[in-house]
Amino acid sequence: MKSKRRQNQILLLCVLPALSVYLVFKLFPAVSGIYYAMTDWNGINREFGFVGFSNFIEVFSDRNFWRSVAFTFRYVAVVTLVANAAALLLAVAIESRRRMKGLFRTIYYMPNMISMVIGGYMWMFIFTRVVYYLADDWGMKFLDVSWIGNPSYAFVAIVVVSMWGSVGYLMIIYMAALQGISPQLREAAQLDGAGSFAVFRRIVFPLIRHAITICVFWTLNSAFQVFDVIYVLTGGGPGRATQSVALNIYEEAFTGNVRFGYATTKSTVLFVIVLLVTLVQLRLMRRKEHEM
Amino acid sequence: MRKTLSALVALAMLLGMVSLAAAEAADEVELNVMMSFPRYMEQWEAYAQQFQEKMLLEQNVKVTVNIEMPSSDQYDSLLQARLAGDDAPDLYTLHCNNLGLYNKAGHLTDLSAQPLADKLYPDIKTAVSIDGKVLAVPLESMAWGVLYNKDIFEACELAVPRTLTELRRACEVLTENEYTPFMLAFQEQWVPQLMTALTLGGLVSGEKGDWLDRMYTDEASYEEVREIFDVITLIMQNGTARAMEEGSQQGAADFAVGKAAMFVQGTWAASTIMEANPDMRLGVLALPVNDDIGCTRVNLSTSTVLAVYPETPEMEMALAFANYVLDDADSSALFESCGFNPLATCHDYPAAFWVEDASAYVAEGYAYRDLVLPSAVTDEQGKLLQELYVGTVTVDEIIETLDATFQNANKLN
Repeated sequence: MKSKRRQNQILLLCVLPALSVYLVFKLFPAVSGIYYAMTDWNGINREFGFVGFSNFIEVFSDRNFWRSVAFTFRYVAVVTLVANAAALLLAVAIESRRRMKGLFRTIYYMPNMISMVIGGYMWMFIFTRVVYYLADDWGMKFLDVSWIGNPSYAFVAIVVVSMWGSVGYLMIIYMAALQGISPQLREAAQLDGAGSFAVFRRIVFPLIRHAITICVFWTLNSAFQVFDVIYVLTGGGPGRATQSVALNIYEEAFTGNVRFGYATTKSTVLFVIVLLVTLVQLRLMRRKEHEM
Repeated sequence: MRKTLSALVALAMLLGMVSLAAAEAADEVELNVMMSFPRYMEQWEAYAQQFQEKMLLEQNVKVTVNIEMPSSDQYDSLLQARLAGDDAPDLYTLHCNNLGLYNKAGHLTDLSAQPLADKLYPDIKTAVSIDGKVLAVPLESMAWGVLYNKDIFEACELAVPRTLTELRRACEVLTENEYTPFMLAFQEQWVPQLMTALTLGGLVSGEKGDWLDRMYTDEASYEEVREIFDVITLIMQNGTARAMEEGSQQGAADFAVGKAAMFVQGTWAASTIMEANPDMRLGVLALPVNDDIGCTRVNLSTSTVLAVYPETPEMEMALAFANYVLDDADSSALFESCGFNPLATCHDYPAAFWVEDASAYVAEGYAYRDLVLPSAVTDEQGKLLQELYVGTVTVDEIIETLDATFQNANKLN
């Protein structure tokens, strides 16, 4: 009993540095944010008043906020689906190669090493200059659309850049999962007459389900907080047509009426939304994993 | 004995030298200055260097001036975060229209007793004062309107339009001569907003004198100034294509090489334009709002100002730097190199040639003081004009939204 206690103490001591960082830089701001959400602080004045739940009541009738929530949900749905499908496809394609696996893995992973802000500016140049050069001088007229100005095409542009930045990372996780599958299982299935698709569906897919859970969780989480790509590429425009929740919160805190308190209220609401979605997702996917 | 004596003498000499050096060593001061115009980084770094040398020579103080220049679109948020986090810079720039907000928050030092206050031109001094206290050092003061290419106007034998009818005619003539009348660069929301700034300014200084005051008391509506959308629509219909894909810098560069005859942009873009085409004959005209010539005016504004943080631990040196910005010997060269207009008695340099056009309007009385709208309304105007351009809102919807935004800002402030 005593040694067990001592063991726990040692374990606690080992995780103490990481735990301290988490408590100070993550948990404390999150909890104090709930307090600021009930104030009218403008981020500049030293004094502010306590306004109770009035900010939360105001959020419910804030048209721009709910418009940004709807945009974010659309973005989350598309990016989660498309990025994971593309990453899995790439992982399977690269894993099926006998040579130059390392080269392709490096090429597809490279965008993940670049900051999305820098990547965003690179893509901004492509969407505002290169595509029109191709359309005007190379006759590729299908590219001659307003990639930043038209809300529909702007959404496509944002998804493309987000995928460019995240697919490589997801691909590595899927590749690790694929490498963990015993070759004998596939060979046995093939000997039993299963085709490539059947092997993937019946053998590979169930065995990498844990990786899918991780990747979907990661994509959902990062997609709900999307900021940098949109900020650089469209600034949320035209108007607020491509404004995500994070961008809406930023706008509330730092521009216009400069309402830090109200912006924190919106952050708290976003936190609750992400928490609920993540809980549902984890419960659903874990159940599937257990069924396997 | 001899050796010991020599050693003692040597030690005494060494100690003497060390104490002498310590006595003569300059005091060290570090000054953090945060500014919002990275395009002038080189000029301000050189000026900070001059200040350091001056302080060392005159006061035997070794000053290190750290100048931070975040990009202008992120500047306000970074400054607010620094102020909120008790990590304020010793001096910082802000927009003149925000002086009231920062003063209320206690982030500005009263500079009325400083030598710089007596050097300011009266109009400029008024612009940077609240309740008779000078609260900042003005840096950018300008008269601005619509930039135009004089060569294109001459080639089309066009006179500067003073009414909306003349502007319409100018657009027709330019189009007939295969020139695009207006450069549109709407990627950043603050650029289309310049159209509302100029048109509202013209109307409020002309026919609708009390409109803004009534807006602040929820007694007026944008419906009363609906005619501003006539000229805005005219500009959008006669502009370059792909406006949403064109940033302000790229727009200035494209305007410089003749892609359009006019550009609704302030004279702050002149440096980019002249860099792209040093031979450009740049002019400034007032944007007509209607056929009343009294409403065709240029904007006379003081935009960027430099403030001293009241709780800086280096107050003496911060004030010295603020005063040095308007130094009798060195300030003119700085302001001229940045392309800023003269704004104090210590400035004795000729204004840039494009400034003369705008100054002529001012001299004739066709200028208005920059309207102070709530920031939320200014931001909203930019967003809505982007949407108007891409066709996702109507003028009626814009009027409704702007009225609501103004009323909400009144309620919050």
